Amino acid sequence: MEGSSSSSAIFYDFLDRMRNPASLDLVRSIKSFIVSFSFYAANPENDGKKVQDFYTTMEDAIRDHPLWAGATDQEVDCAMEGLEKYVMTKLFSRTFSSTPEDVKIDLETSQKIHLLQTFLKPEHLDIPAVLRNEASWLLAEKELQKINAFKAPREKLLCVMNCCKVINNLLLNASMSENHVLAGADDFLPVLIYVMIKANPPQLHSNLKFIQLYRRQTKLVSEAAYYLTNLVSAKTFIFELNAKSLSIDEIEFEESMQAARMTNKETEKEATPTLEERTTSQGQTDPGPSARSHDKETSGASNYPYMDKEAGDLTIGDVERLLSVYKQVVTKYTGLCTAVKHLSLSRTEPHVTNLEARNVFLRQPEKTGKNSDQRVGQ
Amino acid sequence: MGCSASLPDRSSSGRLVGPNSENGGASDAKNLRVKLVLLGDSGVGKSCIVLRFVRGQFDPTSKVTVGASFLSQTIALQDSTTVKFEIWDTAGQERYAALAPLYYRGAAVAVIVYDITSPESFNKAQYWVKELQKHGSPDIVLALVGNKADLHEKREVPVQDGIEYAEKNGMFFIETSAKTADNINQLFEEIAKRLPRPAISSTQNP
Repeated sequence: MEGSSSSSAIFYDFLDRMRNPASLDLVRSIKSFIVSFSFYAANPENDGKKVQDFYTTMEDAIRDHPLWAGATDQEVDCAMEGLEKYVMTKLFSRTFSSTPEDVKIDLETSQKIHLLQTFLKPEHLDIPAVLRNEASWLLAEKELQKINAFKAPREKLLCVMNCCKVINNLLLNASMSENHVLAGADDFLPVLIYVMIKANPPQLHSNLKFIQLYRRQTKLVSEAAYYLTNLVSAKTFIFELNAKSLSIDEIEFEESMQAARMTNKETEKEATPTLEERTTSQGQTDPGPSARSHDKETSGASNYPYMDKEAGDLTIGDVERLLSVYKQVVTKYTGLCTAVKHLSLSRTEPHVTNLEARNVFLRQPEKTGKNSDQRVGQ
Repeated sequence: MGCSASLPDRSSSGRLVGPNSENGGASDAKNLRVKLVLLGDSGVGKSCIVLRFVRGQFDPTSKVTVGASFLSQTIALQDSTTVKFEIWDTAGQERYAALAPLYYRGAAVAVIVYDITSPESFNKAQYWVKELQKHGSPDIVLALVGNKADLHEKREVPVQDGIEYAEKNGMFFIETSAKTADNINQLFEEIAKRLPRPAISSTQNP
């Protein structure tokens, strides 16, 4: 995929151009499009189509615009990337996980994954031993878990692509150094499914749906489309998964699921996740400034059910679960720390600054806007 | 038993394509972009066929994407058109069969592969043919491929069976060997020829 020019540079360039009084007409179209969304209730399929049509209209408008006179395809493309990011950041809360069904599927998926995590092993998916590479898997998991750190469809898609690339490299390396015959998708999909279960990415279903609906359709082709399809496919597999989907004894599967449910139920009885709890529990485990920008990082409160417990509330039966949650938290924390160290320079987006920049962009043309409105009126 | 990790093979018949059409964008009448989905039992050598194809056409100036499961390669035909194949591999294990529609949706070509030493894989191929006839897009080009043709002494599916089944179902049939590269380029060239051409009319400005 692309990714040479940093996405924030593209975005700032877009905002700059929009501040130019000459782009007033474009700014107006964008603003009125965004406002138009507040008139109707959410309807993902319609909304997706509306946004895609808007992209097409705007691409034509930009091509014909004096500010982009003589611009190359690439420059127009950059403007469109900026536009997508701007529009979808503005419409995010209105379009992301916007229906009760989506919320429900997200919750069910994450709960199911949570149960599977307690017993699923690579051999249940017949993943060859040469591909059981914890370090690679962890990297791929982290890429997936970043998906909620971004609001723009392009950046969410990039997380998907990066995850798949890590797995791809694992397969290619195994075929070269371990003499493992390259088996293509026969190897790729099981590893992806396993990574997805280990990662339990936040709001998985909604994130994938959001990319499918709101990423510019001209960009959802070829390799990007293929890898996104693989994630949808892995998610579907997990959602439908039963004993027959795995290389596991049926009774063993049912027993393991039941056991996982029991421990969950005990601990969740009093700790039904509410939004406030999520935020507090997140604030407390928040390892650093980078994670704070993950503005909806819902690892799910069900993952950390002991946050509001006193020592006296705990029973011996909790020990196992407590230990496993503890291990999870520590793994994630150490993972995050390393990731933050490596990535804070190149990847974390200055969200706050963006917000300010956006407001400036909206305010400035407004002033000139009024003037020209008057002129038109006269 | 699969792809021997071979070096780029220059003996292939297909002409190399320069750095034109690197654009992932729309296809027009002269430069087709084609989604090709690979189906077949695991272990029949689906991905080896594609690797052979992509490596066989290897040219440092052409833009190929070599991933473990997604590959793309452009070939030039005699009538000076080019076809860029975007090849979608699918997992062949039974447990993933229900996911196939996610992959073949919108595909212009489906290549269904079996292993000539495995009657079971031939049965599975027939299953895929039926499924695509029912649920694939109506003008999809279907190709039936018997792979591992180099393993004569272990053959269990007679050539005739493949030919007859393909004929009955109006498909293109070929036996290949990813190991020796036999018929690999022919497979893709033949597919390219069978693609429906878009009418030469409202194409985008270059």
